[in-house]
Amino acid sequence: MRPHPSAEDILLTLRKYSHLPLKIMEVCGTHTVSAFRSGVRSVLPERFRLLSGPGCPVCVTSQGQIDSAVSLADIPDSVILTYGDMLRVPGSRGSLADARARGRDVRVVTSAMDALSIAASSPERHVVFLAAGFETTAPATAAMLSAASERHIDNLSVFCLHKRTPPAVRALLDDRDLGIDALILPGHVCVILGHEPFAFVAAACGRPCVVAGFSADSILLAVLDLAIQVSNGSAELHSVYPEAVRPEGNERALALLDTVFVPCDTTWRGLGRIPGSGFRLSPAFESFDAASRLGLSASEPPEPPGCRCGDILRGRITPPECPLFRNACTPTAPVGPCMVSSEGTCGAYFRFHEGRSVSWETI
Amino acid sequence: MGDYLTLGHGSGGRLTNDLVRRIAAEFPSFGSAQSFEDCAYLPGGFAVTLDGFTVSPRVFPGGDIGKLSVCGSVNDLAVRGVRPEWIALGLVLEEGVREEEILGYMRSAAGVCSELGIALVCGDTKVVPRGTADGLFVTTCATGRRVSERDLGMNALRPGDHIIVSRPFGRHGATIAAQRFGLDVPGLASDCAPLWEPASSLLDIAGLRCMRDCTRGGMGTVLCEWAEGARLGIEIRENDLPSDPDVLSVCDILGYDPLYLACEGCMVVAVGAAEAETVLSRLAAFPSCDGAADIGVATEGHPGIVGIRTAIGGHRVVDMPVGEILPRIC
Repeated sequence: MRPHPSAEDILLTLRKYSHLPLKIMEVCGTHTVSAFRSGVRSVLPERFRLLSGPGCPVCVTSQGQIDSAVSLADIPDSVILTYGDMLRVPGSRGSLADARARGRDVRVVTSAMDALSIAASSPERHVVFLAAGFETTAPATAAMLSAASERHIDNLSVFCLHKRTPPAVRALLDDRDLGIDALILPGHVCVILGHEPFAFVAAACGRPCVVAGFSADSILLAVLDLAIQVSNGSAELHSVYPEAVRPEGNERALALLDTVFVPCDTTWRGLGRIPGSGFRLSPAFESFDAASRLGLSASEPPEPPGCRCGDILRGRITPPECPLFRNACTPTAPVGPCMVSSEGTCGAYFRFHEGRSVSWETI
Repeated sequence: MGDYLTLGHGSGGRLTNDLVRRIAAEFPSFGSAQSFEDCAYLPGGFAVTLDGFTVSPRVFPGGDIGKLSVCGSVNDLAVRGVRPEWIALGLVLEEGVREEEILGYMRSAAGVCSELGIALVCGDTKVVPRGTADGLFVTTCATGRRVSERDLGMNALRPGDHIIVSRPFGRHGATIAAQRFGLDVPGLASDCAPLWEPASSLLDIAGLRCMRDCTRGGMGTVLCEWAEGARLGIEIRENDLPSDPDVLSVCDILGYDPLYLACEGCMVVAVGAAEAETVLSRLAAFPSCDGAADIGVATEGHPGIVGIRTAIGGHRVVDMPVGEILPRIC
């Protein structure tokens, strides 16, 4: 494996391309936060802009889905298991954290597998796992359901919110108004999917794209690769993350996904309904579906007035351009989902004071 | 929705700060911003502090709720130049908890007291029905006498002061998170320890301005409170932050920022530039301050804002965390 060049070297080379106006979308929320936290955004040439795409699973969970999750928590004897950052996402009737404060049994887990032991140890309760996340967390849900099925655990169901990344990226790129020159592809998603599902970005949509890791060096290297490609007028899929991503992906995880899920249409907050962009349980696992088992009716309330999360997820505006940002919408009282998650664009802009100029003295 | 407290109100960041200010506002006798320090000076050279403890799990690598409950309040005194001398202890116990378990915690608490020469002077015990307390809640009230004439609160901070942290930070928070989420990190243990000895070793340094033990909200929150309270800027350097590889690996997995993870035996010290080296050499004598480092300075510019120079030479703002610190999805 070749060692990465240092950040200093990459920045030096990057200067040769600083005349280019370059709008790069990073699809993954972890990239967004890493670019802020490591200071990558502050060292890029002035005409380079990093825009955050719909890559935070919390941010794209629709209000209707949050409302359904809250309804599940309201069912007597139910236990809701959720990944941490879903807790504070506001639906039209409050968040899961509010439900917990009202006395509902909502627990944070870090692994889907926790659902098995919790269900087994509370046979009198019905345990619902909120299966959120992209292709990164869906295999864990699939593995858990396979085990639950083998062990005939029947006081357990899954409220399936999983989403598929490539169809959403495709929907974004098909939008003619989207002024994005190049993409940083989500490294973790590519660990599972490999390169092929994103080949369309370069081949069909003509945008150079790079699979990147999450260190400052890896992001900078991806930016340099994209700058070179844009400057040469080429559009190819490259990877600067070969230590983690195999071009063919993780075959075992892909096989699990195929067994347990089938693609379906689903609603992304701010982006609307995107064909084939969700996962639902395959017929063999339908008995674990919380929505049908507990008789949930799906409805999609209108999004809060004035909220421009959709435009932010599309990279059309940056958070300070939204009239609610910092005014009606703050991390303590988020209106839209991009403010609520630690990986949401607005939350990151707020926390890192992006858009406010600070004149540093010593740094 | 806004009527209910959420766990975010207890996590030590912005929500906690706002809630505490609303509570204090109900007491017309409660005055200045200076009162939002860790302990209060009383007439006659005495000082008092009070702390409530609830932790899950109750036993963790590096300590238990008993040790924690003494360290937590005596550290609040120590960083303000007060020798902890007396402690009062209140227990709310849940029906069904084994007496031997409780006595074990009390032995841990007593161990710290005898190490520091602190006398338990009074206490209170309540037992509540099963399900109404999470095993036990401990409250300690520590008092002592001021050893230093100086205030050592954040108002003493001056532009140009160096900021020193006494050890790699975030160990307590990382240890508890690892236990809670079933992560096996051998070697990771809470930093739970009394700070009186290292803190008191600094009291004769003329340029010593203020000290604070980092607890909930972590070191980042302390720096933000200092910057806001003293109306000064603070700039720190990522390359100089002492870090603990075990803490970083927990942070990597859960998406936490070590700056905001709780500590229970780590303090931040501000000192005039000329005596920063003296502080470091004094702290070097204490095993609990292994890794102490000069991490930044207070500035006249950007009052109220803390900035960090990152490892790649960039910069960003360090703000107080908002709400409960939650593990991310992926």
